[in-house]
Amino acid sequence: MKTRGTNYRKSSTRLKKQNKSISKTDNKKLQEKQAGIKQKRREFVMLLLFSAMFLFLIYRVGYIQFVKGEEYQKLAYLNQTQKRPINPKRGTIYDRNGKGLAISASVDTVSVNPKELRDEVKGDESKLLDIANNLASILGMDSEDVMKRFKANSRFEFIKKRIDREVGTEAKAYVAEKGIRSIYIDEDSKRYYPKGKLASHLLGFVGDDHQGLNGIEFVLESTLKGVDGKIMNEVDVLGRQISFSKEKYIDAIDGYDVYLTIDETVQYLAEKAMDQAMLDYNLKRGATCVVMDPHTGEILAMVSKPDFNPNDPDALPVGIIDEDWKGFNDSEDSQILWQTVFRNRAVMDTYEPGSVFKAITAAAAIEENVVETSTPKFCRPVSIAGHTINCWRKGGHGAEDFLHAVYNSCNPVFVDVAMDLGIEKFYNYFKLFGFKEKTGIELQGEPANEEFAKLQHNDPKEIDLAVTSFGQRFQISPLQMITAYGAIANGGTLLKPTIIKQISDSDGNIVKKFEPTVVRKVISEETASKVCQILEGVVAEGTGKNAYIPGYRIAGKTGTSQTLETDTEGRYVVSFCAIAPANNPKVCVLVVLDHPQNEMHLRSGGILAAPVAGKLTEEILEYMQVEREYTEKDKIEMTQEVYVPNVTGMTITEAETKLKAFGLKFEIQGSQTDPDAVVYNQTPKSDFSIPQNSTVILYTDQDQSEITVTMPDLQNNSVAEVIDVMNRLGLNLRIRGSGVVQKQEYPPGTQLKRGQIVEVSFVEMIGD
Amino acid sequence: MRRKNEYDYWILFTVLVLLAMGTIMVFSASSYSAQFYQNNKYHYLFRQLLWSALGVISMFIFSKLDYHRIAAASPILIIISTVMLTLVIIPGIGYVSNDARRWFNLGFTTFQPSEFTKIAMILFLSFSLSKNSERLKSFTKGLLPYLLIIGLTDALLYFEPHMSAVILITLVSVIILFCAGAKIGHFLAIGIPGIIGGWLLILKMEYRVDRILAFSDPFKYAQDEGFQVVNSLYAIASGNLFGRGLGRSLQKNLYLPEPHNDFIFAILCEELGFIGAMTVILLFMLLIWRGIKAAMNASDMLGSLIAAGITSLVALEAIINIAVVTSTIPTTGMPLPFFSYGGTSTIFLLTSMGILLNVSKGSSAPELRLVTNGQKKPSLIR
Repeated sequence: MKTRGTNYRKSSTRLKKQNKSISKTDNKKLQEKQAGIKQKRREFVMLLLFSAMFLFLIYRVGYIQFVKGEEYQKLAYLNQTQKRPINPKRGTIYDRNGKGLAISASVDTVSVNPKELRDEVKGDESKLLDIANNLASILGMDSEDVMKRFKANSRFEFIKKRIDREVGTEAKAYVAEKGIRSIYIDEDSKRYYPKGKLASHLLGFVGDDHQGLNGIEFVLESTLKGVDGKIMNEVDVLGRQISFSKEKYIDAIDGYDVYLTIDETVQYLAEKAMDQAMLDYNLKRGATCVVMDPHTGEILAMVSKPDFNPNDPDALPVGIIDEDWKGFNDSEDSQILWQTVFRNRAVMDTYEPGSVFKAITAAAAIEENVVETSTPKFCRPVSIAGHTINCWRKGGHGAEDFLHAVYNSCNPVFVDVAMDLGIEKFYNYFKLFGFKEKTGIELQGEPANEEFAKLQHNDPKEIDLAVTSFGQRFQISPLQMITAYGAIANGGTLLKPTIIKQISDSDGNIVKKFEPTVVRKVISEETASKVCQILEGVVAEGTGKNAYIPGYRIAGKTGTSQTLETDTEGRYVVSFCAIAPANNPKVCVLVVLDHPQNEMHLRSGGILAAPVAGKLTEEILEYMQVEREYTEKDKIEMTQEVYVPNVTGMTITEAETKLKAFGLKFEIQGSQTDPDAVVYNQTPKSDFSIPQNSTVILYTDQDQSEITVTMPDLQNNSVAEVIDVMNRLGLNLRIRGSGVVQKQEYPPGTQLKRGQIVEVSFVEMIGD
Repeated sequence: MRRKNEYDYWILFTVLVLLAMGTIMVFSASSYSAQFYQNNKYHYLFRQLLWSALGVISMFIFSKLDYHRIAAASPILIIISTVMLTLVIIPGIGYVSNDARRWFNLGFTTFQPSEFTKIAMILFLSFSLSKNSERLKSFTKGLLPYLLIIGLTDALLYFEPHMSAVILITLVSVIILFCAGAKIGHFLAIGIPGIIGGWLLILKMEYRVDRILAFSDPFKYAQDEGFQVVNSLYAIASGNLFGRGLGRSLQKNLYLPEPHNDFIFAILCEELGFIGAMTVILLFMLLIWRGIKAAMNASDMLGSLIAAGITSLVALEAIINIAVVTSTIPTTGMPLPFFSYGGTSTIFLLTSMGILLNVSKGSSAPELRLVTNGQKKPSLIR
């Protein structure tokens, strides 16, 4: 064995040496030796091969760990953990005074880890079905739906989102009682709009996943949303939580609260006024109203009708007939919603402003010293480039100063003034007042600057200048219009209109405060106050008369335009823009009424929009506690109201004395007429407020029934005619406004008690 | 300096270190699934400890037994092996698991005859070739009979089916024939048709085609065929440089089915990181080096071939296993020596280590010193 071993271990490098020492070995041994050398060489080759392979495998491990490491680790992490989202509480939207307009209520969301649940019941189908049935009945669901989720091939499924707390508590109790670990009831929140339709276009609404889809909810989505939190579990391949692992909890960060600039009450008043106008005038295309604080550019109210209820945004809109309405579940229905009720017309739509725009022309002309209030003008039809331009009054107003031309809203005079200004200067002011660009308000859907350019005269000629001077044949948005009026009201500075006042975190700390943004100085303070004065006169004496409110100095301008569409019936847009009070402006109010279908033949801003705007402005000023300052004229014209005293039970003599003291007349009905007869009944009853000089009917027979009269149709009657008719019928009259009857309190044919008070509204039949 | 008739202690040391690491890893990797499937997290640990103890005893016994005497019995062993392989594929006798009939059910445990076949084949080929290596110069008289014996064994394994054993036994046999001096030309002559034939056999088995497809893009097939590989890659990647720490694997939570078996190396990578994986691979390299060194320094051709065969067997198993786990080659069920859980494999592995130790005893430094006149210490290659 020794010799064999010795021979065998010869290394090739020492072959010669070895050959010498074993030179006498026989042939076979030599062969064996050579074979041994070959074998060693081959074994060494194997060692090299194996080593190379092992080194390559080290490289492979390193490659997977270091090159692919991050990628694979992420995938592995997704595999190894189960995530349940925690929704952050969506921020509240408040009005400027902190009244909640969009709030998030605490609710529960039920979810399941289907893999683990199936594991928990050890695949027992009947147990699974039992749980599904019970849970479905608690949650008010179809048990098949629940079962479908239980059978999902995943580790996380929602069962039902946003259920009431009570239901959630019930579900929790059931799950706890059965000891089920893989059905989760987690806190969630639900969006709720406590004021219903109020400011629906400003607030917007949220979708299924609580994502803002319209209005501020959409625009400030990232601000309101907050940051998702999550609950993470380490799970095995079957989705079962690993017993020794801890639940990782990443808290959700609640969304920020948003304070809007709108005032809930002002918004409510504006909504109410627009709703009433929709009804009264049967507005085919809706109504728009914007109320702005001219000193800050803050929007106090913004209304667009028709509207929607953000709590149920895809409900069938009023006036649309669709028996198969599916709301958001149908793309056609969705489209209808987005084209109608979801549109914020104040921002998204454009219209021809009509004579309301004349204030801008006047401001430019006064600023450029082209005209003064006293400049003599002549109102008669003028001819420009082959087109004749008339005043709304046939033949025009003849000779008048510029002031009265504005009062009378004479188109030919404005053409004249604009011509004096010239195309370049006029359109410079057009631009300065912001009509060629977006206002930049924090709401979606404002037309782009290019879109405005398309709707306006890009390369204006004389005729364009002429029609633009009185607001025709070009379009702007209602928001642009009121923003320009804001500049006139605040002394000549164009401000960026804004809807957001402040953003604060859930602890009330202010995150961002919005300050007024000056766009540019447009006209001098002097010009601005002059224009305000002129506009005040328009309401006091001119075409804006119907907006006149005793005690409040309202400045404003009426406007009427016809749309270019072929629909001949009521294709009008009537509007009114007010600045009040004229000497110290607090608000600007724009009312735009689209396609009125009322019975009156003359449709103008002065007749239709002015009373609406005037009354709304009055309500807003009252709410803002602006003191009324009555003019002498107001005082004379105002009928004092008194409260009816109680005279029932008195003798006629006593009643007479009492009623006289209140400035009221009386009329005796009944067989007893002597001064000592007792008054058994009276109309109106005590404590009713009625105008002075009204008549109280006194009944002197016991159990005597009250005399009734039939309400006549007062349409188109003048004030004098109405007084006459009412006197004859023995009805007490409360007069509102002047001119011809616009509205009577009771429809014709109503049975009324003699002596009852009937309110009749009158309107001045004027154009603009 | 080692004296004559002493083991190569490097081999013994490496084997024991690897076995210790392996046993710890079996426990770490298997505890979750053991708790889940067997309701006892020590289930696999206790069994593996028992097999290791029996294996170590066997290793010591065989390290003392003269390998010439064992090799002399190899013709009988190869006959026993063939009989067992024939029996195991007979339905009713062979025990079926995972669609393969590879085991005898002994009641308390199962026995996998292919493990016996591996060592029997190495011993037989070494014994036979060392007796008349001259014959290998002829194809028909030399190489062909051996190929027939290997082919018969492969055919029987193919019917189990046990593809990894086929590959392993074929490769180890080829290596032994190669080391024994078979002509390269002969290898090429049979190797090319052999590979084509093997490829056709693979294509016949649908699941193998699926595995190859899954290998080409494991993430595409992550839900079925690629599942293990993808999760293996996740485990390795999660390890980074230092690993999650012993026992902290997440992928062992059933993402890797039977994490204590073929994919245990992935768990090792996850828990011990690149450092741990490299340590284990270097330990394997150390063992392979010492094994090949023992072969080169063996006192005779028989010992040399046995050492080369056993070393190659361990090397190939480790290389193929790690290559599968790292998605370097398509999936095949190959255990990682010293690490993967298994009774028969552990005992036969350690038994073969015993034989390797016995061969290493034949090589001794003093004689080398005598020959080289004490000029040098044994060099790495020597």
